[in-house]
Amino acid sequence: MHSNSKKPTEADLSAILEGLIKADVKFILVGGLAAVVQGAPVTTLDVDIVHNRSSGNIAKLFKFLKSIDAIYRRPDDKIIEPKEDDFSGLMHALFTTRLGPLDVLAVVEEGKNYEDLLDHTIEIEFRGHKINVLNLKTLIALKRTSINPKHQQQLPLLEEALRQLAEG
Amino acid sequence: MSEKTKTKNNSGVDKGLVAMFLKMSPEERLLANDNAARAILELRNAFEQQKTDRSGSKRNT
Repeated sequence: MHSNSKKPTEADLSAILEGLIKADVKFILVGGLAAVVQGAPVTTLDVDIVHNRSSGNIAKLFKFLKSIDAIYRRPDDKIIEPKEDDFSGLMHALFTTRLGPLDVLAVVEEGKNYEDLLDHTIEIEFRGHKINVLNLKTLIALKRTSINPKHQQQLPLLEEALRQLAEG
Repeated sequence: MSEKTKTKNNSGVDKGLVAMFLKMSPEERLLANDNAARAILELRNAFEQQKTDRSGSKRNT
């Protein structure tokens, strides 16, 4: 049986984003990193994305995940590699990769998927490419409905960033 | 009251820290987070290593 005894030592979350762009994967950046790029002074150790679930996009995403040695993140030492059809359903797929942790979400709070969220994104310029990022207002609204205590703790910082952004 | 305390609002948010982060470009913010994440992982691993070393030396005594 395979064993996953390696400790996570890599955290190059920017490289994960760059890799997704270069692999031409359609995704929306959500979660803590979406808050970071919009100016909230929080630190996050993973990348959270909501992916477009068309078969073509899933094939690109799967190929990219294989290229960064993605395996499911688990509390035990079992190594389970993703399969392409894992991404067509509504499940959250949480991975360890050689560039750091990556969470691939079919939906976020309130069951919102890629298409639902697209109207609530901003485009940011990153290494010469555009990334769709869930806007701070929507991010705050979703975190308010979250039962995750970490999300609740981050809310005041996100709200202050939004307030200062609105003030210009 | 110190200057640092004055910049915090009722929820304890450091407004100056938010303002400082907002002055950075999105790419600079991502790099700052990468650096912070690397430092956190390094410290966590050092802590884990220390625990392992301690339990190893206890067994040897």
